Amino acid sequence: MQRKDFVVGSALSVAFLGGNASQALAQVASGSPQLPSFGNANDPDNVLVVVQMGGGNDGLNTVIPWSDDQYHRVRPQIAVADGQILKLNDRIGFNPALKGLNELYKQGRVAVLQGVGYPNPNRSHFESTQIWETASPDRPQQYGWIGRYLDKRFPLNAQPPSMFEAVSLGDMLPAALVASHVEVPAIGALNAYGYNTGRDLASKQSAGVLYDGAKAGQSPYLSMIATTARDAYHGGDLLRKQTAEFTNKATYAPNGFAQQLALAARLIGSSAGAKIVFVSIGSFDTHAGQRAQQDRLLGYLGDGLLAFYTDLAAHGLADKVLTMTFSEFGRRVAGNASAGTDHGTAAPMFILGGRVKGGIYGDHPSLTDLDHGDLKFATDFRAVYATVIEKWLGRDPSDVLGGAYPTLAFV
Amino acid sequence: MQPPKIDTTTDPQVGFRPPGTLDAATALQPYDGRFGTRHAAHLLRRAGFGGSDADVAHLASLGMGGAVDSLLHPTTPDADFPAYPPSDKLYDIKVSHPVAQYWWLDRMLRTQHPLVEKMTLFWHNHFATSINKVPAQYMCGMINLFRDQGLGRFPVLLSSVTRDPAMLIWLDNRYNAKAHPNENYAREVMELFALGLGNYTEDDIKEAARAFTGWSIDAHQQAVFIPARHDDGQKTVLGHTGPLGAEDVIAIIVSQPVHQRFLAHKLLEFFVYSDPEDELIEGVAQVYALSGFDVAKTVGTILRSNVFYSTRAYRAIPKSPIELAIGTLRYLGAQTIPANLVYQLARMGQEPLNPPSVKGWDGGPTWINTTTLLARFNFVNGLIAQTAPGKNGQPAVPAPNVAPDDMVQRLGMDAAKVAAAIVSGVVQDDVTSDVRATIVAYLNSQTPSTTVQNPVPFGPENYQDKIRGALALTLNLPVNQLD
Repeated sequence: MQRKDFVVGSALSVAFLGGNASQALAQVASGSPQLPSFGNANDPDNVLVVVQMGGGNDGLNTVIPWSDDQYHRVRPQIAVADGQILKLNDRIGFNPALKGLNELYKQGRVAVLQGVGYPNPNRSHFESTQIWETASPDRPQQYGWIGRYLDKRFPLNAQPPSMFEAVSLGDMLPAALVASHVEVPAIGALNAYGYNTGRDLASKQSAGVLYDGAKAGQSPYLSMIATTARDAYHGGDLLRKQTAEFTNKATYAPNGFAQQLALAARLIGSSAGAKIVFVSIGSFDTHAGQRAQQDRLLGYLGDGLLAFYTDLAAHGLADKVLTMTFSEFGRRVAGNASAGTDHGTAAPMFILGGRVKGGIYGDHPSLTDLDHGDLKFATDFRAVYATVIEKWLGRDPSDVLGGAYPTLAFV
Repeated sequence: MQPPKIDTTTDPQVGFRPPGTLDAATALQPYDGRFGTRHAAHLLRRAGFGGSDADVAHLASLGMGGAVDSLLHPTTPDADFPAYPPSDKLYDIKVSHPVAQYWWLDRMLRTQHPLVEKMTLFWHNHFATSINKVPAQYMCGMINLFRDQGLGRFPVLLSSVTRDPAMLIWLDNRYNAKAHPNENYAREVMELFALGLGNYTEDDIKEAARAFTGWSIDAHQQAVFIPARHDDGQKTVLGHTGPLGAEDVIAIIVSQPVHQRFLAHKLLEFFVYSDPEDELIEGVAQVYALSGFDVAKTVGTILRSNVFYSTRAYRAIPKSPIELAIGTLRYLGAQTIPANLVYQLARMGQEPLNPPSVKGWDGGPTWINTTTLLARFNFVNGLIAQTAPGKNGQPAVPAPNVAPDDMVQRLGMDAAKVAAAIVSGVVQDDVTSDVRATIVAYLNSQTPSTTVQNPVPFGPENYQDKIRGALALTLNLPVNQLD
């Protein structure tokens, strides 16, 4: 019989086949002293935070199949030593850099989804990122999966309650958030977002007079532009005013990712009222010298997410926020000659939050039954999106994803 | 009876041309009304990237026909531009993207044949390919193709695109072989490049894909046709049957009235307005078909037409980020592209050589949202504030055309005159009187400015900063976001 990782089913009923998973099971159970309140899983106030791990994160050195000799055999230069691995059960464990995430896992707040991917995997950063962000492996899609969700949620005549309903923390709007009519601001930094005239205050004031007084005229687009200019002009001040209402109650490291999460917490917890926040960390494109780079980034990731969760919990918001990670692809099973790995396929995703049913979902992909040297996926990423859309955001996922996918039990 | 006096400062559109209906029969007839500064500026924005006061005045002096001819058939040679970026950089993966992007932006800025470059941009969006999949040297090659053939006959252009290495890579047609057909290119030819959704069947795509088999890229980075990979069997595409090849399918496609309307619609959207009437589309389609699918003749008809100079077309199209950025730099007389322009353009939503998908950029109103508008405004504010020499030894950007010293020498230390000159130059007076008053008030404001210790009204101590500030305010007006 093929060994299986234990699988958390509905509620806290746990099914596993073979293996000694009782210890990990006990951890999950003890970390979840109260049964989550499933009745309001799709509360309209629920918040989704998406973490993009850009560059293609090596899944095998993230969730490590430590007891599989093949892992050590094919990765002589970059395998993590057994003694350092944060073991989740008798088969798999976290990269030691993920100690922050491991804390949350032990509290039962983290779902580890194994072997996530899609058919006919594309190994180009650009194309596979487009595929993940538009949820469309077969055809180019104009709008992102979250953009399509927002368009459904807020039809043309139903404006979102806040101009920061959905935000991207970064200078560029990722494809995932491109919508047909719902606007998603891209906020690089709190102080940079706004109409900037340096020290020429008079110019800034005059611009305000001009935008506030702008007349529509007859040109079909002029009034739309004038209104948007007014919102843009005041948006920066509004953002600073609203986010100032919220004080972070956790210590975030001084790296860019952690700082994005600190701002995310303020956007979520203040009257800015963000419901979708997109953050990113990278680059995980570790073709050479992987250990130093990936371990550093995984450290930022795990510690940042722990601080974020701690902050939200201190504000009573942990149950309102679900955080999901993704990367455009995993990496090859075998290491390359430069102590790195090249582009691969399936990889794990993490889902965390106060109402997430922690545990391990799906089997670790086989390291020997491969497709062109790459892992075979077991769970289609669109099933993960469908689960989030239906069970967390309370919408019909087939509307957004253009098809039906089985939902998973992590929420 | 005296016609009512129209105050052109009360509405951007009033006074450009008397409002009224335009019937389809005369919409495409040559315009024979007044051709002044605003008409010339309108033409230069649509058929180019805008320009300085002097550029507009020159165009206006040629009259409508002469102005269009000068853009469509330039008689003087263009400035010297390298055919490709330096090869040591073009083939260096670390720098090849920006090198190719700046190579093209430089040409957009400095070319004296702006319509040629504008059509190059049009085709780059139409046959959208991205540097994210296609190596930079092929992207440059494709831009060169659009420049060489973009005003020629469409079937020739489509044929060249079909065998262009960038396109062979972008839509995988290099893998399209008899033994394993790949429909990607055939599908986009029909959906995006020539016919539009709903005007063909899935069978047409399958059959056309077979006709497009056999192309590859050889060791010299040239497209090559490999007969053994080509499917020379019978195929039926859009009702035509035979051992069709790529050229046959292209001929079949362009002969479809639906193709002629498809391309007419796209040209009208780009040059005239975003929602052209069916009659207008039909009229342009006829011109296009009668011209033998000649792009220059079709575009020429559009640029000379009554409808092009109608109130409905004036300030009717949101500027793309590239149009805004290049237009601003040209107005200011800049001769070099700012070092961070590609990044700025990406923030505005249009990184050159990197459209978001095979559909290109949506354009129109989708250019405008709070994030992209802030990116536009802060691009202008940053540009205007650059008084010191630029980075890497490049000259400072705001350049000769609007030098504050010249302006004050010409107009005197007079806030109202300076404001009038700026508003006239940047937006051809398409502002209400309170906008003008706000600019004058800014010039005279006594709020602390960049370098002024003791704030005073517009005068010798502060005119340099104030003129720059007034330029930024005017460039950032909502009406200047419209072409």
